[in-house]
Amino acid sequence: MDELLQALVQGFFVGSAYGLLALGMGLVYGVSGIVNFAHGDFVSLGMYLCFALFTAFALDPYVSVIFTVPIMIALGALVYRFLIKPIAGRQLLMVIQLTLGVALLIQNGLMMVFGGQPTRAPSMIESKLFLVGDVVIRGAHLVACIVSFALAILLYVMLQSTDTGRAIRAVQQEPRAAALMGVDVGRVQVMTFAIGVGVLAIAAALLLPGLPIQPTQGLRFTVITLLVFVLGGMTNFVAIMLGGIVIGVAEAIGTIYMTHTLGQLLPYLIFVAIMLFRPQGLVWRS
Amino acid sequence: MLEMQGVTAGYDGVPVLRDVSVNVGRGELVGLLGANNAGKSTLINVISGTVPIMSGRLMFDGADISKTSAQDRVELGLVQVPEGRLVFPQMSVRENLLLGGYNRKARPDRSANMDHVVSLFPRLGERLGQLAGTLSGGEQQMVAIGRGLMAGARVLMLDEPSLGLSPLFVQFIFEIIDKLHAEGMTILLVEQNLSLTVRHADRCYVLERGVVAVEGASAAVAEDPRTRAAYLGM
Repeated sequence: MDELLQALVQGFFVGSAYGLLALGMGLVYGVSGIVNFAHGDFVSLGMYLCFALFTAFALDPYVSVIFTVPIMIALGALVYRFLIKPIAGRQLLMVIQLTLGVALLIQNGLMMVFGGQPTRAPSMIESKLFLVGDVVIRGAHLVACIVSFALAILLYVMLQSTDTGRAIRAVQQEPRAAALMGVDVGRVQVMTFAIGVGVLAIAAALLLPGLPIQPTQGLRFTVITLLVFVLGGMTNFVAIMLGGIVIGVAEAIGTIYMTHTLGQLLPYLIFVAIMLFRPQGLVWRS
Repeated sequence: MLEMQGVTAGYDGVPVLRDVSVNVGRGELVGLLGANNAGKSTLINVISGTVPIMSGRLMFDGADISKTSAQDRVELGLVQVPEGRLVFPQMSVRENLLLGGYNRKARPDRSANMDHVVSLFPRLGERLGQLAGTLSGGEQQMVAIGRGLMAGARVLMLDEPSLGLSPLFVQFIFEIIDKLHAEGMTILLVEQNLSLTVRHADRCYVLERGVVAVEGASAAVAEDPRTRAAYLGM
């Protein structure tokens, strides 16, 4: 029973960060209609940027965010403007191939610079533990959860009640009319992609403490993100956060109750089961 | 005020409009008529800047705006209410209208413009919180026109505003067009409906396969046998 509670709590905390990963993907998909297969490799890149800042200046990953977010936003804008935009809207497969290419570029670039062996960027709160009843809560997980929800709410409020947010939704819903109302559709697309990648820089710092990193890990994050993104019905904010928690809990239960390999399988099994019965995602959309 | 001089324009290098000259004076209500595929929508998309000009010039307030971006033209006050309304379905009526006033020039006047729109369309005032996608076709047309007014239109270009509406709503929309015209708004009205348009417009142009076939005062255009020929494709 204690183990189950432990798994639920831990899964909820980590899952909220997964939700955040998928929000970035959902935002970009909604506005530009593209799915970025380099998503997880941008997370990976964000982690290595933190690692580099740690080795060079002994910066804590949470502090590094001040630098990694602007870097990743700029990178996202450049990638969209010069790589994706020229072929966006032509062929879905071409965009997928292109982002897969970007993924391989990032992976091998990281391998060149940092080498292939796993490494770590420690954080000051990494070893902090809290005991609530019989449940052990890791400080890093708590931070991940709080920041993820705060960011999700911030993004939601930005989308709902600012002019920029309304312009983003207008492009999502009816790009032709948005353009006729004076919205620069191209700029909105670059901006949302940049925001999506910038959010990943934060997610990277949240997931980093205690996690050994290696250059080829990106695909794992991409796959987790895709699961959450599809579970959440692609663009629904609340459902995406919920999807993140489902996958996070499945992963935690898998690792606690099952052997290593079987445990890693559990999120995918649950995903397949949910998709069989609710192909439209977790939440109905009217 | 708005002058299209010998414009040839089209998509992917294939001209749809050939050597078209159209002008709209300040405060005028000009009708643009023609059968399907005559190039009416292309013409207002050229004015909006979403279809590039191959040759010829587009003048607005005495300045050449042929190369001006679509966004900048909205700021100048050239606003199109697109065919099929294209409201933002998952946004409320209020948000649709607010987005209409998105451009930098119109933003400061948003609340005044909103009051004006609500006075024109009291029905929208009652439905400000409703999602635009759940409105009837006629109400969506009101949202689309309201959104265009919110953008600070100085020339309002209406693309087939009566399309797919019940006769009652068509009548109402034309009453609104008359009212805006009486307030001094410059209007370019694209319509397939000949008899309705000539009754309301000051002047009309009839397009036939990308060229201007007939132009002149509405009554004269209605009488002209070439108008009928243009519609029947003879």
